[in-house]
Amino acid sequence: MSYIVSPDVVKYACTCGLLKPISCLYFCRYCCELRCGFCVCHEVDSHFCGKCCENLPSSEARLKKNRCGNCYICPCCQQELSTRIGSKGPSNPEDPKSTPKKMYYLSCLYCRWSSRDVGIPDQGAATGGWPERENVHANRLQEVIEGYKAFITAQRQQKEREKKKQRGKFISYTDRTGVTAAALRKRIGLPAEVPNTYYRNRPKPPEVAIAREEVEDFPEDLLTKALNLMEITTIDQRLLQPDLQPTTVDKLFPIHKQLSIKRSLRCRSCEHNVSKPEYNPNSVKFKIQLFAYYHIPEVRIVTVEPLRAGKTAELILKFTNPTQHQTVITFLPLDLTDKGGDGDREVVGETQSLNLPEKQPPSLGGQPSSLLSLSSRQPSITIKPRPIRQATNCSIAIPGSKVILPPRDDAAEYDDSGETHNIQDDTKLVVWRKSNKAFVKLAVTPDDGLELNTEIVAGFTMQHIYTNTIATTVENKEPDRHDHNVRVFLSLGNLVGSE
Amino acid sequence: MSRNSIKILPGALVCEESKLRGDITIGAGTIIHPSATILAEAGPIIIGDCCLIEEQAKIIHRLPFDEQDTEKTPVLIIGAHNVFEVDCHVESPKIGNCNVFESKCFVGNKVTVTNGCTVGAGCKVTEEQILKENVIIFGEKCQMREGLDRPGLQTLQMETLSKVLPNYHHIRKPNKKN
Amino acid sequence: MELREINYNKGDYVETASGNKVCRQTVLCGSQNIILQGKVIVQSEAIIRGDLANVRTGRYCIISKEAVIRPPYKKFSKGVAFFPLVMGDHVFVGEGSLVSAGVVGSYVYIGKNCVIGRRCILKDCCVIEDNTVLAPETVVPPFTRYGGSPGMNIGDLPECQADLMVDYTRSYYQHFQPTKII
Repeated sequence: MSYIVSPDVVKYACTCGLLKPISCLYFCRYCCELRCGFCVCHEVDSHFCGKCCENLPSSEARLKKNRCGNCYICPCCQQELSTRIGSKGPSNPEDPKSTPKKMYYLSCLYCRWSSRDVGIPDQGAATGGWPERENVHANRLQEVIEGYKAFITAQRQQKEREKKKQRGKFISYTDRTGVTAAALRKRIGLPAEVPNTYYRNRPKPPEVAIAREEVEDFPEDLLTKALNLMEITTIDQRLLQPDLQPTTVDKLFPIHKQLSIKRSLRCRSCEHNVSKPEYNPNSVKFKIQLFAYYHIPEVRIVTVEPLRAGKTAELILKFTNPTQHQTVITFLPLDLTDKGGDGDREVVGETQSLNLPEKQPPSLGGQPSSLLSLSSRQPSITIKPRPIRQATNCSIAIPGSKVILPPRDDAAEYDDSGETHNIQDDTKLVVWRKSNKAFVKLAVTPDDGLELNTEIVAGFTMQHIYTNTIATTVENKEPDRHDHNVRVFLSLGNLVGSE
Repeated sequence: MSRNSIKILPGALVCEESKLRGDITIGAGTIIHPSATILAEAGPIIIGDCCLIEEQAKIIHRLPFDEQDTEKTPVLIIGAHNVFEVDCHVESPKIGNCNVFESKCFVGNKVTVTNGCTVGAGCKVTEEQILKENVIIFGEKCQMREGLDRPGLQTLQMETLSKVLPNYHHIRKPNKKN
Repeated sequence: MELREINYNKGDYVETASGNKVCRQTVLCGSQNIILQGKVIVQSEAIIRGDLANVRTGRYCIISKEAVIRPPYKKFSKGVAFFPLVMGDHVFVGEGSLVSAGVVGSYVYIGKNCVIGRRCILKDCCVIEDNTVLAPETVVPPFTRYGGSPGMNIGDLPECQADLMVDYTRSYYQHFQPTKII
């Protein structure tokens, strides 16, 4: 729940230096680093309409200016409009026996606005029949846009032509002998240079807009006429339709609904996808989901005693191991330097060379093996880790012993028999344990001299053993285990009392 | 202290689990869902025909603070075809016909509601005013809009309810023939 | 933060074989039409109107105090029909909320004092904040956060929202224990 509604109390430091809760972080398995929303590349996967939940191809989305063709929103309260069946007059007025024709109108169920309020006639078809409002200045805008587009293409063509001229490094034979195409043309009688297409199709600049000096007279009754507030549109309603900006309520037109997107995320250093959703807008599953919540042990605050300056208080944290492999948690003091957050890498089994300067031929880039792809790609943008802008004003007593967390077992939920892992625990450190979770007791001491109600922030580095399962299927059977350091920051609440 | 005197005209459907306190007259065709609350503290309440009062609705007839000591007992007359949706809280001293009070709205005791008004969901109307006919109040900031005509009647829903509710609830028997 | 133990008076609640914990002070109309799939908590003063139409919830749903689950109606030319209300798994309905939606997906979080309008469609993995009023027939797409009155899209949710809701509802159920009388 804390990630849904409560403020974030436990934050992890991403490699770029920002602090985020674990639900907002991703874990790139190939570089073994934490990534946040800012250090990944966001790419648009698909467009869909929130109301009809239908996908639109991106070209069509661009054509329709990222709005749905069928769904409308109410200009009054910006909620979705629904189509209602209105009066049913006979389809053929002369024939009294014909079946009644259904007429549709748009209606908002929140503010009870309807298309009849602005005078739009009822439509015979349920979808797609609604009249589009013409922009008064459409012609002029189109003229200006086309004028500038032509100008840009002409400029681009000129640039390419100049590049071509520069590329010619080889001297043509005709230059040496003196029989050039230009001399020949002069002899025949044609103009010396090939008439440049640029000059033939010079784009016409749009007509210059001329300012006028005459202004409409100020209508005196604006000052004397009584206002009816219910007839005037609000600023929000006006700005929803920037081309029309109606001032009175009876000119509000329904607006097409904007499209939503699904996006896929890509790590900037190794160009691997970190998150890729499914195409279906209704589905909540992911094709690729490398979220930190599934790979990094989660830290949660269980209880914290009231904090007083200079006095030691007890803090109980809950550690959860989300992976299918056993992990060991070691506590280290917090390190706020610029290091990327990754400690020593102990590699068990085959050594992986992470030296990237060897560039393999691009044909190997298509191989699914991660080992090859690691060595064949160059990072597109190297991200320099930034210093973390969070000062801790509380010290944590770092315990020396380690905490073993067994792997996650989904079947244990249905099995009520208590399994014993026979883990020898330091009872002063681990106060409770159940399957892959453990409660750990730590002692925190806020710094001396702090004022009442200052927010206390404590931090430590959690080192856990991460088992990388990518390499198992390819080269060796032994999964690669190495230590991974994560810096954790805890907001423990405000200082209470001083003595 | 207040004697419970509830007069139910024939055709009205009042569930036993609703809470009615005070001198209340319920018109024909009115449907009161279980867990509705009607408190006639300051005086009698007369509810018109074909009203729909849903669960957790609270209709309270209470005097405003500055008029507590007057001698006469005002009567709250609620007109016909009103709809009080779930968890609305209405303390208005005068309610006309064909109004709709949507879910979780609050109408204070200085607001006079005329005919055809719609108080939207979640709106809190407390200022002293007389609502114009066919006005629609919506949104967090209680924006007002003038509708073209009154909100539609709920006769179809009430017909279905009058068939469904007696199967599942105990109904109070009508006791006044008029 | 980790959830605390939420204790209830043992006499107030009835626990069924499938693990549903239903308070005795609820108003369950038409209880034969209400299907609680398993490990569902219905807290005191909640109202579930099974008399109007079928109500079905999934597993690990939590219906807080004074919430109202009410199937919506739809007007046809020949009358009005009440449609069944189906909720998915791992849904949390906050205190005092009125849920009149047509379909509620799985992994949905509904805050306190909300009004979910008639025939709304709440897809999987969405969050409706406290005190929201959703207009009738709104479609809430997945991974969105709706708030305000009228309910509008005010934010996005992290991609692991489904697991967060599973974790939240499971731990709420585990911590919802009767007070131990020593």
